[in-house]
Amino acid sequence: LSFSDIILRIFEDSEHLESEFGLVSSLVTASLVLLILASASGLNGFLRRRRVELVLSALASGLILLAAVVIVGEGRSVSLSLWSPSPYSQLALHIDALGGVFAAIIGGVGLAASVFGLGYAHHRPIDGLTYPLFLLTMLLTASAANVYTFLVGWEGMALTSFLLVLGDGASSPRRQAAILYLVMTHVATVFVTASFFLVAREAGSTEFAAMSAAELPTTLASLTFVLALAGFGTKAGLIPVHIWLPRAHPVAPSHVSALMSAAMVKVGIYGLARVSLDFLSPGEPWWGLLLIAIGGLSAFLGVLYALMEHDLKRILAFSTVENVGIIALALGAVLSLRAHDQPALAAALFTAALLHSVNHAWFKTLLFLAAGSVQQAAHTLSIDRLGGLARVMPLTSVAALVGCLSIAALPPFNGFAGEWLLFRGLVGAAATPVGDTLRLTSLAAIGVLAAASGLAVACFVRLFGISFLGLPRTGEAEHAREAPLVMTATLLVLAVFCLVTGIGAGWLADWLQPVSGELLAVTNEHSPALIEPQTGGRFSPALLAIVLLVLAPLPWVIARAAFGKQQRPSLAPVWSTGVVFRPSMQYSGTSFSKILRLFYHRILLPEREIEVAYHGASPLPRLVRYNGRVPALFEERLYKPLRSGVLWAAGHVRVVQNGSVQMYLLYMVAVLGFLLVVAR
Amino acid sequence: LNSLVEAVGLSVAQMSVVIATAPLVNGVIKRVKARFQMRMGPPLLQGYFDIAKWLARSERKANTSSFVSTLAPPLIIAAVLSTLVFLPVFRDQAPSASGGDLLVVVGLLALCRALLSLAGMDTGGAFGGMGSSRELAVGALIEPVLLLALVTLAIQPGTTRLDEIMTFGIGEPGLFLNVGWVLAAAAFLIAILAETGRIPFDNPDTHLELTMIHEGMLIEYSGRSLGLLHLAGVVKQLVLILIFVNVFLPFGMASLDGIAGFALGAGLVTLKVVAIAVVLGVVESLFAKMRLFQLPDLIGTAGFSATLGVAMTVLFA
Repeated sequence: LSFSDIILRIFEDSEHLESEFGLVSSLVTASLVLLILASASGLNGFLRRRRVELVLSALASGLILLAAVVIVGEGRSVSLSLWSPSPYSQLALHIDALGGVFAAIIGGVGLAASVFGLGYAHHRPIDGLTYPLFLLTMLLTASAANVYTFLVGWEGMALTSFLLVLGDGASSPRRQAAILYLVMTHVATVFVTASFFLVAREAGSTEFAAMSAAELPTTLASLTFVLALAGFGTKAGLIPVHIWLPRAHPVAPSHVSALMSAAMVKVGIYGLARVSLDFLSPGEPWWGLLLIAIGGLSAFLGVLYALMEHDLKRILAFSTVENVGIIALALGAVLSLRAHDQPALAAALFTAALLHSVNHAWFKTLLFLAAGSVQQAAHTLSIDRLGGLARVMPLTSVAALVGCLSIAALPPFNGFAGEWLLFRGLVGAAATPVGDTLRLTSLAAIGVLAAASGLAVACFVRLFGISFLGLPRTGEAEHAREAPLVMTATLLVLAVFCLVTGIGAGWLADWLQPVSGELLAVTNEHSPALIEPQTGGRFSPALLAIVLLVLAPLPWVIARAAFGKQQRPSLAPVWSTGVVFRPSMQYSGTSFSKILRLFYHRILLPEREIEVAYHGASPLPRLVRYNGRVPALFEERLYKPLRSGVLWAAGHVRVVQNGSVQMYLLYMVAVLGFLLVVAR
Repeated sequence: LNSLVEAVGLSVAQMSVVIATAPLVNGVIKRVKARFQMRMGPPLLQGYFDIAKWLARSERKANTSSFVSTLAPPLIIAAVLSTLVFLPVFRDQAPSASGGDLLVVVGLLALCRALLSLAGMDTGGAFGGMGSSRELAVGALIEPVLLLALVTLAIQPGTTRLDEIMTFGIGEPGLFLNVGWVLAAAAFLIAILAETGRIPFDNPDTHLELTMIHEGMLIEYSGRSLGLLHLAGVVKQLVLILIFVNVFLPFGMASLDGIAGFALGAGLVTLKVVAIAVVLGVVESLFAKMRLFQLPDLIGTAGFSATLGVAMTVLFA
C-alpha cells in the first residue's frame, strides 16, 4: 500500500461536497492533505533537514485560516466526510461558525509558529513527524462532526503534543513534565468521554448535529456539564487542574509552546462551549456561577503566580492560565445570563469570550516566539540572567513590547478590546434585574478581573523591563545578537497584527457575530470601528488610536515651537549614589516582585531560609546563604495527598492481583455467575 | 461634518484648558500644605516656571537608556490627555462620549502607569527599578478600587458612559446620592491619593529612596523630557479630580447652550476643582506617610468601601 493510496482512500468520500461552498471545502481538504504530506516528509531525513514539513505546515495553516475566516464571516458551515470504515466510526468534519473561530485560531497560530520554526535552531528529528500531526489532530478536534472524530482528534492531539514535550526525553524534569501531562490529559479524556456519552445516550446518536437537539433532564444535564467542565477545564488549564500546563508548555521548543499555549488550550474552551452552549440548552444558572468562580480564581492566581516566576516561558505559561480563566469567566457569565433569559447580554459576553480567545492567540504566540528568539540568542530563559536586550535585539524588543502591552490589556492594543467588552457586559449584567446572586457575582467578577489586570500590568512590565531593559546581567545576554530575519519578521508581523486587531476590534467583533447568532440566536450589530453591545456605553478603539497618534508628537512640536530646537542629549553614566554602576545593582526579577509577594503573602505563603555561617570567633559572617521560594500550593496541598492516597489504595488493591492463574479464573467465574444472576 | 468639527473643537478646548490650569491646581495644593506648615509656600505660578525651565533645557541621558525612555514621555502625555476626549469638563457633554467610557479612562490610566514604570526601568538604575516596582504594586491594588468605585455609579443609570452618568446624577440627585455613593466617593478619593502619589502613599516633596515612588521613576530624566513628565503628572492629577468633580458631584452642570452656559459650567467646575484641591492639601497635611508594607491595609479599606458601596447599590438602590 503506497502512501498516495492511503491519501486517496482517506479522501475517497470527499466528492460529496456541498457544491455551493465547494471552494472553502476544497481549501479545508487541501490543508488536511498538506498536513499529512508534511508529516510524511518529516520522516525523510533529506526533506527534514530542509524543513519541508514546516513549509507545508505553514501552507496548510494559511489555507485553513483562509477557509475559517470565510466560514465564520459568512455564518455557514462546511461538511466533509473523510473516511467511514464502519457506521459507528466515521471520520467526518463539520465546521460551523463556532468551530470556525477555533479553526482560525489554530490556522493563524500554526502559520506564525511554522514560519518562525524555519529560523529556529532547536529542532529534534521526531518533531518533523509529530509537529504537522499535532496541527492536524487539533484541527480535527475543532472541526469534528461526531464524537468519534472528536475523540480521535483529541487523543491524537494529546499523544502528539506529549511527544513534542518529551522530545528526546533527555532530561529528568522534561520527562516528568511530559508524563504528568500525559496522565492529566488522559484523566481529562475520561471526563470528556463520559459527558459525551450522557448526551449521546439521550440523543440516540453520536452525531453532533443530533446531540445539539438532545433534551436532557436537569440532573443529567448538570452532571454532563460538571463532567465536561472537569475534562475540558483540564485541557484548558483552569485552576485547580492546571498543574501540568506551567510544566509542559515551557519545555517544548518555542514554536511548539506557542501552539500549545495559544491554540491547544483553546480547544478545551471550544469543547466547553460546544457542550454547554450547543448540547445543553438552556441550562441552569448555577453552572455559570461555578464557571465564573473557577474562571476568576484562575485569572487571579494565574497572573499572581506568573509574577513570581523567573523563567520567561513559565511566566507565559502561567499567564495562559490567567487568560483562559478570563475566557472561562466570560463563558460562565454567558451561561448564567442565558439561563436567566437575557440573550442580548449573553451574546455580548460570548463575543467578549471569543474576542479574547482570538486576541490571546496572537499575543501569546508573539510572546512565546519572542522568548524563543531570546533563548536562541542568549542561551537562557531566566529573566535574572538577561537584561539590556533592547539595545542588542531592537526589532525583537519592539515586537515583545507590543506583545507585553497587548497581554497586559492596555488600550489601544488588542488585549484591551476583549476585556473592555467583558467588563462592559458584566456591568450590564449587574445593572439588569437578573437576580441578586448573579448581579453580585458579576460585581465580584469585575473586582477580581480588575485585580488580575492590575497584576498583569505589573507582571508584563516586569518581564519586559527586567529582561529587555537596563544592562545585561551576564555575558550571554551581552553577546546576544538579533535573531535571523525570518524569526524577527514573524514577530513584527504578529506585533502589527496585535495593534491592527486592537484598533479594528469592531471589525473583529462583527466577524464573530454569526457564532452567537448560531448558538444564542442573537446578533449584536457592531459597526466597523466601534464595539457596541446592546446597552449604553460604546468604545471606539479606532478613535482612541487616532487621538493617541495625533497627541503623541504634539508636545514635542509645541515645546520646540515655544522653546526652540534642542541639542542632542549628552550621555552620562547612570546615577547610583556616586559609586560606579554595575549590572548587579539593578533590580532583579525577585526584588521587583518582592512588594507584591509581601502584599499577597497570605495567598502565596512564600518561604525563605537564611543561613549565616561564622568563621571561628569572628563576629563577621563568612557566608550568607539565602534561599527563597514561592511554593506551588496546589501541587503540595492538593495533589501530593491525592497522589499518596492513590498509591496507598493501589497498594491495598494489589492483594487481589496475586499472580495466580487459578485465582483469576475464579474471579471470572464469580463475575459470570454474578452477571447471570443479575441479568437473568 | 459639523459635529466632527464641534467634537474636535471641544477636545482641543478641554485639553488646552486642562494643560493650562493643571500646574495651577498643583500650586493650590502646595499652598494649602505650606499654610498648614506655617510657611508662605512657593508662588501659585511656580509650577509653570519649573516646567518652562525644564522644557527650555537640553537633555542629559543615561548611556544605558534605550528607545523606551525616548518614546515614553510623549506617549504618557498623549495617554493622559486622550482621557479628555471621553470625559465631560464644562457641561454634561464630552467631545466623544460614544467613543469611550469609564472603562477606557481606567485603561488609559493603566497605560500611563505601564509606560512610566517601563521608563523607570529603562536605564537599569536601582532607583528606577525601585520606583517602578512600588508604583506597579500599588497600582495593581488600586485598579480594582478605582474601577469598582466608578462602576457603583454606573449601576443605576445602566451605562458606563461618563456623560450619561452625569446626566443621571443631575436629573435624579435623590436616587444618585445614596449610601453606595458615599462609600464609592470615599474609595475614589483614596484612589486619587494613590494615583497621584500623595501622602500617605508617596511623598511628592522628597527624593529619599526609602519613601519615594513617583520621583524614583523620573530620576534619570532631565530637560525637556522631564518637563513633559512633570506636566503629565499634574495633568493626570487634574483629570482624576475632574472625574471626581464631574462624575461624583455633577450637580448644576446641566447642558446650557451658548457662551453663557459654557462660562457658567466653567465657573462651577473651577469652584469644585479648587475645593477638592484644598481637600487634598488638607488630607496631605493631616496624615503622615505610611510605611510601604502598611499600604495594603489602607487600600484594602478603600477596596472594602468600594465593594460594599457597589453591592449596596445593587441590592438596595
